[in-house]
Amino acid sequence: MGPDSAPGPAVPWRKVLWERQPFPDNYVDQRFLEELRRNEGIRQYRYWAVVKEAGFVGQQLSCVAIFITLWLYMEQGLLSPERLLLTSLVCALLGYGLHQALTSQMESGCELRTRLADLQSATIFLSFTFGFSPVLKTLTESVSTDTVYAMSAVMLLAHLVSFPYAHPSTPGSLSLNAALFASVCLASRLPGALHTFAMLSCALLVFAMWPCLLQRLRENAPSQFTGLCVGVCIGGVGGLGSQSPGGAVLLALALGSVTLLCPLLLVMLQRHKDNIQGPWDEAEIHEDISHFLH
Amino acid sequence: MVLKIFFPQCCNRADSGLLVGRWISGHDSAVVLAVIHYPFIPGQVKQYVQQMQAKSGVELSVLGSWSLPKEGQEGMESFLRDLSTIFPQQRWLQIHREIGKTGFTCEVLNRDQNGRVVQQETKKKSKKVEEEDGEAGGDKEEQEEEEEEEKVIFVHYEQRKVMLSQLHPIQNGVPDPKTDPPSELRQMFQTVATSQPLFFMDRYDDGPLKSTHWQSEGREASIIVELLKQASVPLCLLISWLLSIWTWICNIRIFSLYPLRWLSSKLSTCVQLSYKTEHMRTLSSAKPAAGHTQFMRKANILVSFLVDVALGMLLISWLYRDNHIAMLANTLVPAADHVAKELDELLQWLMGAPAGLKMNRALDQVLGRFFLYHIHLWISYIHLMSPFIEGILWYGGLSACLGLTFALSLLSDMVALLTFHIYCFYVYGARLYCLKIYGLSSLWRLFRGKKWNVLRQRVDSCSYDLDQLFIGTLLFTVLLFLLPTTALYYLVFTLLRLVVVLFQGVLHLSVDFINSFPLFAVGLRIFRPYRLAEGVKFRVLCEEPGTALHLLMEINPLKFSTVVQMYRTPTYSCYPKDSWAALVKKLFVGELIYPWRHKTIKTE
Repeated sequence: MGPDSAPGPAVPWRKVLWERQPFPDNYVDQRFLEELRRNEGIRQYRYWAVVKEAGFVGQQLSCVAIFITLWLYMEQGLLSPERLLLTSLVCALLGYGLHQALTSQMESGCELRTRLADLQSATIFLSFTFGFSPVLKTLTESVSTDTVYAMSAVMLLAHLVSFPYAHPSTPGSLSLNAALFASVCLASRLPGALHTFAMLSCALLVFAMWPCLLQRLRENAPSQFTGLCVGVCIGGVGGLGSQSPGGAVLLALALGSVTLLCPLLLVMLQRHKDNIQGPWDEAEIHEDISHFLH
Repeated sequence: MVLKIFFPQCCNRADSGLLVGRWISGHDSAVVLAVIHYPFIPGQVKQYVQQMQAKSGVELSVLGSWSLPKEGQEGMESFLRDLSTIFPQQRWLQIHREIGKTGFTCEVLNRDQNGRVVQQETKKKSKKVEEEDGEAGGDKEEQEEEEEEEKVIFVHYEQRKVMLSQLHPIQNGVPDPKTDPPSELRQMFQTVATSQPLFFMDRYDDGPLKSTHWQSEGREASIIVELLKQASVPLCLLISWLLSIWTWICNIRIFSLYPLRWLSSKLSTCVQLSYKTEHMRTLSSAKPAAGHTQFMRKANILVSFLVDVALGMLLISWLYRDNHIAMLANTLVPAADHVAKELDELLQWLMGAPAGLKMNRALDQVLGRFFLYHIHLWISYIHLMSPFIEGILWYGGLSACLGLTFALSLLSDMVALLTFHIYCFYVYGARLYCLKIYGLSSLWRLFRGKKWNVLRQRVDSCSYDLDQLFIGTLLFTVLLFLLPTTALYYLVFTLLRLVVVLFQGVLHLSVDFINSFPLFAVGLRIFRPYRLAEGVKFRVLCEEPGTALHLLMEINPLKFSTVVQMYRTPTYSCYPKDSWAALVKKLFVGELIYPWRHKTIKTE
């Protein structure tokens, strides 16, 4: 009998190969593709929830924009380094206090040690930056302006791309380093060593400390977190707008597309998802070692 | 069966008599060494042969009889045949020649196991044979019955040349029983070479026997050679005594201190001195040379040394004439000044914007001023030394009487000392650059969030602290922007250093060449080519029907390239330590390079 003939003998077909059956080896009965599963584990996205999460990305973009605004002000001499330093110090202290207030519920004791460690870190930062600022100032003297701008742009883009949006308190190496590299490049273009020092301290604040605070806020006060994101975005657009309206327009467009357009696309395209799973997939081992522990 | 008889050319016209020689074991051949003439007493012949065998160590025996009948000497045939009973041999050759004919006839008498004498006729052969180093012509057939026809080939050889010749490749000492036994040709050469006591009896001797060989017209000797041999004994003693004093001086404790010893290993003059001392020791050893290789090495060393000293004397005669030394001294200080000025200008150019490159101005100024100060120190040092330069040159030039190699080594050392500042600059630049590259690579790994796992020798991910990240990024930025400046200084000074190294390398190579080139062996190959033999070639002399085949054996000398390769004296030759790829990699990373390495002499 051939492969396409009428239903064969009364012996039912079993999906085994170790037994000699009157069917050919590639025969499958009408249960073909019964075990196919479509779009298993797909999540239903709700638009506004996605927008809320995307707001974080927009917030980071605005942070970068605020930083660039501050640099533009300093370069044009509209902002003096002493004022920037003072403001940074005040903001740092405020932020630190807020951070401590938000964490005090979780850990008890060992507060003094953590404070001392923090103070030590801060001293190291500041002394190092202050000591290196004359060197950093002359670093890019012989490099042309276009190159400096291009390098900073690439580095800031890398920072945005590799930022750990899921858990920002553990600093991602590449993102932080790229941001600092860009800030050193930009800071070396400023007229004086003190400018450089101020710029770098500001960069440290914006790129290293601010995400830690955001993490705490997101965990403990979600609704305020959303409001803060919106505020930062508006601040970014406004600040950039005071220097260059074109930049502000661009930023607004970018924010709009990231925060509003992309979630829409995501939700709409979910319909076209067509994943199939079946017994042909690689086996996943779900580690359940509890029965070893008795 | 083919029987080869090696017959010396000097015996072609010898009077009738007995043939003395050796049967070569393992092959069907015989070497005839001499002919002992009539009249003789067989007992004395036997005694003589045994004496010679004891003296020379060769298995001599009476091979057969030779007859070249002159007028009035008929009737020898039966006499010759009866002789075979007196000298009991396994085979007895009866070679007969007629005056006026070129060919020989040969009869071979064999004794089989019962002692019966069986005679066999010769047969002419018409095959041309070419041999290289004793591969036998494969013509052996199994001998079955007495009626088998035996073919005889006469191979004529020039006895004196074969005696003096050495067959290459040289096999020293007792041949290993596991390897093949020496070939027929090698055995034949060895036989002739070791049978020297047989050739001492010339026709002016008063002994009871008269023989013919290459030296039978009288032993030759040269007065000069004899005088040199006599003079060499006290000379060797003198040299050994001087050497022992010199070695004692060198081994004084004070010279074994670490800095002096390290310095003497770096200065090529001291290395040359120790090397020449070794050579002198080889030359003046009391034992005569054992074996051909040692003799050649001693001869090469002596000739090279003499040529070296001759060239050195030539240099001295040019140097000390017409006030050349003063002229040299007067040009040396301005030359050093000129070099320093050029370096100065180079540094000024680097401190500006060289070739439009982006240099960091502050670092540039720092490095440039640092090197300029060094040059200034160097120039003052040279000016301080300038009154003494002439004296130094004068006494240094005297060292050329020990050989041109010494003068060249001294020149190389002086160049090294005079360009010491370039070496210093190179080391500074290289160290700075190496540090920078190392730091950059490590910080680049930190930039990406990875680190080097020393245990596993690979790059792993790592979570850094905030302050580590911060300081790391700052340093990375600083190092990256300062890289072009450092790299440029490094490049310039490395190029300068390479120029100096190249010049020194040329000097060392020429010294090496003078030391290791085997002049004596090449001279021997040109003037006495038969002494270094690679093999033999055969020429057909006579192929008349009715007589045996006669071949002339001529010695094939070694090729020149083989001579040079085999006999070059091993030296502490400098050869490149790294391959090109490794060198380029080292240059790129900034490791210090010492491109030449000296091999130490292997002590036996």
